[in-house]
Amino acid sequence: MDTLAALPVQALHGLVYGMLLFLVASGLTLIFGMMGVLNFAHGALYMLGAYFSFSILQWTGQFWLSLLVAPLLVALAGAIIERFFLRKVHSYGHAHELLLTFGVAYIIEELVKIFWGNEPLRVVLPALLAGSIPLLGIEYPVYRLFILVVSIVVFIIMFFVLYKTRAGIIVRASVANKRMVDALGFNVPLVFLVLFGMGAWLAGLAGVIGGPYLITNPAMASTIIIDLFVVVVVGGLGSIQGALIASLLIGQLQSIGILVLPQFAIFFEFLLMALVLIFRPHGLMGESK
Amino acid sequence: MTSSAWLKWLLLAAGLAVLAVMPWLVGEYPLNLIITMIIYSLFALSYNVLFGQAGLLSFGHAAYFGLGAYTSVLLFKDLGFSLLPGILGAGLAGGLLGVLLGLFVVRLGGTYFALLTLAFNALIYAGAEKWRGLTGGEDGVAAMRPDLHIPFFGDVGMFSTVHWYYFVLIVVLLSTWFCWHFTRTPLGRLNECLRENEDRARFIGYNVYMSKVAVNVISAFFAGLAGGMAGAFQEFVTVTFINLDKATDVLIMTFVGGSGTFWGPILGACFLTYLNQVLSDLTEHWTLIQGIIFVLLVMYAPQGLSGLLISLKDRFWGARAGKLSPAAKGEG
Repeated sequence: MDTLAALPVQALHGLVYGMLLFLVASGLTLIFGMMGVLNFAHGALYMLGAYFSFSILQWTGQFWLSLLVAPLLVALAGAIIERFFLRKVHSYGHAHELLLTFGVAYIIEELVKIFWGNEPLRVVLPALLAGSIPLLGIEYPVYRLFILVVSIVVFIIMFFVLYKTRAGIIVRASVANKRMVDALGFNVPLVFLVLFGMGAWLAGLAGVIGGPYLITNPAMASTIIIDLFVVVVVGGLGSIQGALIASLLIGQLQSIGILVLPQFAIFFEFLLMALVLIFRPHGLMGESK
Repeated sequence: MTSSAWLKWLLLAAGLAVLAVMPWLVGEYPLNLIITMIIYSLFALSYNVLFGQAGLLSFGHAAYFGLGAYTSVLLFKDLGFSLLPGILGAGLAGGLLGVLLGLFVVRLGGTYFALLTLAFNALIYAGAEKWRGLTGGEDGVAAMRPDLHIPFFGDVGMFSTVHWYYFVLIVVLLSTWFCWHFTRTPLGRLNECLRENEDRARFIGYNVYMSKVAVNVISAFFAGLAGGMAGAFQEFVTVTFINLDKATDVLIMTFVGGSGTFWGPILGACFLTYLNQVLSDLTEHWTLIQGIIFVLLVMYAPQGLSGLLISLKDRFWGARAGKLSPAAKGEG
């Protein structure tokens, strides 16, 4: 197939990865916007989702069960990190919180290697998702479409919650002005805890659905953290719209890049990052403070 | 001079004396371990110019270290450089990259610095991995350590571990002296001022941006120098010299040793290199233990081991001299 004909398929690949990336990045950027903490452990939580799902599948053989349970376990892990680790160092400042989440990520990565080994794990998909269907002139894997559907559904729910519900308004208000929300009588530490747990849940969900697609392995965390960081720099720290635009851009740059200049595909996102830094240092949607 | 200043000089002199006679004290194998410690001490020292002194948390210092390692090995292999020019070339390469990346990474402070250094480190790593013609990709490149050429004297062979030990020791001692002296220069003072209150420095009229770039270059130069020696020591360099693990190793060493003192990073580098050697023979979970030590220190002793040592010293020696701090009095 020539390059031009492959373009729509690659664009679809890019959309799938971009949406997956957004699921992880949205939690990261909301947590940053509200708590001022760059959560280095976010990639590790995403990886935990993939591994929890692998083990649940191994024990029960139920993919749908793992899709439900594994993200909840990751949310629990996230809540534990916030409540028993992050909160203790809150008074030392943001650099310290970043160091702590880095240490936690480091430990999670080592634990994953100890419990599940260094080798990549193969996830057996249910028959419904394992095949492929004709699409855009080729046989397209159903599973990738499944990832796309799940991430779009979650995306719609998340926007609905953030913009149409009371809880969402409190979260957005806390991102904008934490002290004012505190002064109005809301329990800000509790909001932090729930938000951190929700961010972890999103990352865990992305891990569950992303694991079979991007291969469940101990380097998953450090691979995605680089893309995540590029997303938040390009989109603007703390901006959820920015995270969406940047995730989709990076998905396209990677997949179209592989088509056009396979050797240099990996450099395109960094080029984008450098350009954004030169012309819009605070990101596409970020505000300079 | 006060008695504590005398004690400091005495300790320093004793330490230098031990380092000077080290090859007679230990065998070949421990000497190799000590050389590794010395090289990583310099890496950690260079890191602390950013982390401890400027308050900039970097996740990308392996870019400079790795570039230094590639530079020295390639200069030896392809251009036939002798030892010292090769190592200095590594430092210069690190410094040049420090200019280039510095212009980008120091523009926005705090969290952005951490993000950007990590991303640019990933970029440099990708470059090393992809440019197979030059770097050999994941296979790496190898080159024998060349002789040290001294004008009007001749060549000193570096095949002997003892000769190599003295070379590394002298380079690192001179670099350490420079880094220490740097903290007393106007730029070094400004560097600490930027950590404490950047706005004030700006109001006084300093060019904060260029000062940070300059500091980044100095730090990158010494990281490159350390990398150059690490490459020459292994006589081989591959992408593990430049990956994210290498970048986080130096962060952990510096933090564990204590970023608040000048000698903390040296302590951390020696302590963790030694533990790594000893514990990795005993348990395969060494890295997990290192992670746990790190998190415990972050939570309970943010000044690291050197901070713990200082508070211990104050507790025992400070009490005897009758210099109790109010906090210590409260405890008693």
